[in-house]
Amino acid sequence: MSTIHKGLTVTVTLDEEKISYVNGLLMEYRKDLKIYQEKFSTSLRGTFFLSWLTLPAQVYAEKEKLPARILLMSSYVGSQSSHLRELASFLGPQLKQVFGQSREYPEKELDESGLVDFLKAKSIPNTFYSGFKFISTEDVNREKSLKAEVWQYGQGLDGAGKRTSPREIKEKIETFVRNQPQLAWAAKKIPYGLSNKIQMLWPLALFGLIMLASLISLILCLFLDLLILKILAFIFPIFILVMGFLFLLLRLNENIPHSPSPELSDEKVREIVALETNPVINEMTVIAPLKKGWIRRIFLAITLKLVGLVAYFAYIPTVHTARWLQMDRGKRLVFIANFDNLSEAYAHDFVDSERRAMNMAVIFSHAFGFPATRWLIHKQYNHRSNYMKGVRAHQKVTQFWYAFQHELSVENLKRNRTFREGLNKKMNDAEIREWLLTL
Amino acid sequence: MVANPIDMTVLEKDDIQGLLLRGHGQLSSASYLLYAFTNPAKARHFLQVLVPKVTTAAEKPEDTAIQIALTYDGMAYLNLPDPVMQSFCREFKEGMTAAHRQFILGDTGENAPKNWNWGEKSPHFMLMVFGKSPEALQLALAEVNALTSSHGITALHVLPTGMLHNRKEHFGFRDDISRPVIRELLKNPENAQEETFPAGEFIMGYKNLYEEYASCPTVPAAMDKKGDLPPHPDDSNLKDLGKNGTYLVFRQMEQKVHAFWQYMKAQSKDNQSAIALASKMVGRWPDGSPLTLCPARPTPSLSEANDFGFWQDDKAGLKCPIGSHIRRTNPRDHLVTETSQKDSTEMAAKHRMIRKGRPYGPPFVPDLNPEKMITRKEDNQERGLHFICMVTDIRRQFEFVQNNWVNFHKFGGLEHDADPIIGNHYHNESRKTDEFSLPQYPVRRKLDQLPNFTLIKGGAYFFFPGIKALQYMADHD
Repeated sequence: MSTIHKGLTVTVTLDEEKISYVNGLLMEYRKDLKIYQEKFSTSLRGTFFLSWLTLPAQVYAEKEKLPARILLMSSYVGSQSSHLRELASFLGPQLKQVFGQSREYPEKELDESGLVDFLKAKSIPNTFYSGFKFISTEDVNREKSLKAEVWQYGQGLDGAGKRTSPREIKEKIETFVRNQPQLAWAAKKIPYGLSNKIQMLWPLALFGLIMLASLISLILCLFLDLLILKILAFIFPIFILVMGFLFLLLRLNENIPHSPSPELSDEKVREIVALETNPVINEMTVIAPLKKGWIRRIFLAITLKLVGLVAYFAYIPTVHTARWLQMDRGKRLVFIANFDNLSEAYAHDFVDSERRAMNMAVIFSHAFGFPATRWLIHKQYNHRSNYMKGVRAHQKVTQFWYAFQHELSVENLKRNRTFREGLNKKMNDAEIREWLLTL
Repeated sequence: MVANPIDMTVLEKDDIQGLLLRGHGQLSSASYLLYAFTNPAKARHFLQVLVPKVTTAAEKPEDTAIQIALTYDGMAYLNLPDPVMQSFCREFKEGMTAAHRQFILGDTGENAPKNWNWGEKSPHFMLMVFGKSPEALQLALAEVNALTSSHGITALHVLPTGMLHNRKEHFGFRDDISRPVIRELLKNPENAQEETFPAGEFIMGYKNLYEEYASCPTVPAAMDKKGDLPPHPDDSNLKDLGKNGTYLVFRQMEQKVHAFWQYMKAQSKDNQSAIALASKMVGRWPDGSPLTLCPARPTPSLSEANDFGFWQDDKAGLKCPIGSHIRRTNPRDHLVTETSQKDSTEMAAKHRMIRKGRPYGPPFVPDLNPEKMITRKEDNQERGLHFICMVTDIRRQFEFVQNNWVNFHKFGGLEHDADPIIGNHYHNESRKTDEFSLPQYPVRRKLDQLPNFTLIKGGAYFFFPGIKALQYMADHD
């Protein structure tokens, strides 16, 4: 068990003439959602976000038509199988109705377990980022009310509080929490703390170990004549050589003149932003064919794997969740994010700092219409405006979007967690003062 | 070691309207006049007559000055070709009162355009007339009236201004201290003591912070028959209509001075605490000295201080609260969502504006002394600020700040706080924005049910063209 936040992506192809019908269905479900939000959140207990949309056909490398698709992208806490069961159980009829429009959907009637199998079979890997790691949907509400109750209690401390030492204040708060039956859960240790970290970090640790073992073997080969050492010793140099070779091929590909995306019409932009009217959290889906050349597909695939390895350490401000994935034999890049406030403000986060513009170029520079780069990360002329045009040109309308909660920003969620983590934790006075600021 | 080459770009001051580079501070009287054209041919003739009278940045006017800005509707009325009209940015084309722009700007509820005095229906253009004295201004206005009347132009609104004591705004706080400095205006930019900005952040036709030319309105080369316009720097098929111009954002903000000080008084044990609380909301003491540098009491020697940051000195907001007005409108080197001072500084710099507004209405008390304002009864006079800012990118600069920093109630990890001074404060099913959080030991203080201390009473997006662009519009047939 864990409380790691993960992403599920399910996709099937769709005949183009059915797009408007499926869009209509999804928009109807969107309307239902407004009425039945509470039912959704009680039935989809492990689900944070759900984006469901159709993707029109796109053209790859000026000649190959990539098929229209239906995409269902969810983020959840817990095991994938229980998440699939949760989806099939609560959204079964809707899933069948929408996916039933695809030729990939079985002709025979599916029961719940059949639907689970279908979703599983049609799911594809993604690189997933969460801005609030290890917080479950249940934690979101509990931690919010914990902080509110303690803040209320803190008002009573105010007069004498200024003269009370941080240690005493902390003890008073901890005693208050212990004495409130409804807050008894908060006095306990946060579950899965260690196993969450291990589960997230072991692939990186394994990768690092293999590379380290290879390096050490390389040195030991000078002194020992063992077959295993010789085999291991090859891994690191081969990895470096392959990456270097791929970099050279990428550099050659970068010489292909930049083709900007046609600018999105004002009308289309208005259609997209008209759905971005949620007070705190909104969603953005950008799907673009890759620039031509097989090296782009290979390089992006390796990049996404490496990004996945370091996801534990990644930080993207104001983002609740983000995911990147390749579809259609690597020829399409899908990016979806759930973030605080509006996409126009959010998109700036990627280009307003030099460092982040470089990081983003590692992925987005492979997508058609996005700015040209040199050696993957070095910007070329009009990087910022081409980037913003690229985002808009490939942004899709997400017909159905569900969020477990609409009220708390990423910073709110993180602060609530920091406050909970500080309860019953040993701290010095300076640390307590800092901890109290999260209240 | 070889130093970085310094950008020696020279600003074309004789093509730039004066207000963009100067505040006309020596011309203490001013009126902003809103008009509608009634005949396209007469409108163009009016512009032809007006162009030589427009004050350029190459002049230093001592008696009067006149500037002109046009809305999208105004330029559409001049029958400018469709490719030209389409080349303006979407925000400008839609106008400040379009439904989505209202949402972004927070112009809802009390601040909704239906409650404005003007702007719900866009004017066509605005003349900004300045005089060294009320008499000089009257003379200039008489000349303007004669000119507009003779061209069948309808006067919609007259917005008078009045400078206040000691460069203060109506709440009694020193205003306009933090101004971005345009690098190209300095003789030795490499020796600048403060952060400087490339001209392209504020004037079209020059490079901006991204080292690219800001998006600007254009004219297909074939349509510039008289050759009024310079070539576009990135596209030889186009002429640059934006060169030496900018977008001008105008917002008439009424200030509820009596309500402001009564709220502070109600939340405080005495007048000094009320002033301290108001200062926490602003982020500076009434004399201008920043709380970050002098949190306990005002320090007159720091009243112009602008060389400070928050990252090192006040990350938690214990001196100057995270949600205070100055930390929202210019977060300097600390954004809560950033992990480094460098990233924060880079991000904040991308959203600066040049402000040129002036107050209007009589001061609540002549010397704007907060202690007197706390005790004075309501006089029911309307007063406020004609907020004017100039930017080359309305969305990235003005709207971003207004939406993401001023009105977003989650700014900096806060929960229900819009900007305490200029934010839209309300409480409904989906949003609560009327709190103000004061970080303090042991537990933060939260003020609730803040009323709106400012109300939007009018506004529009204008294009503030260069002289050649103005000539093109006048010549266009």
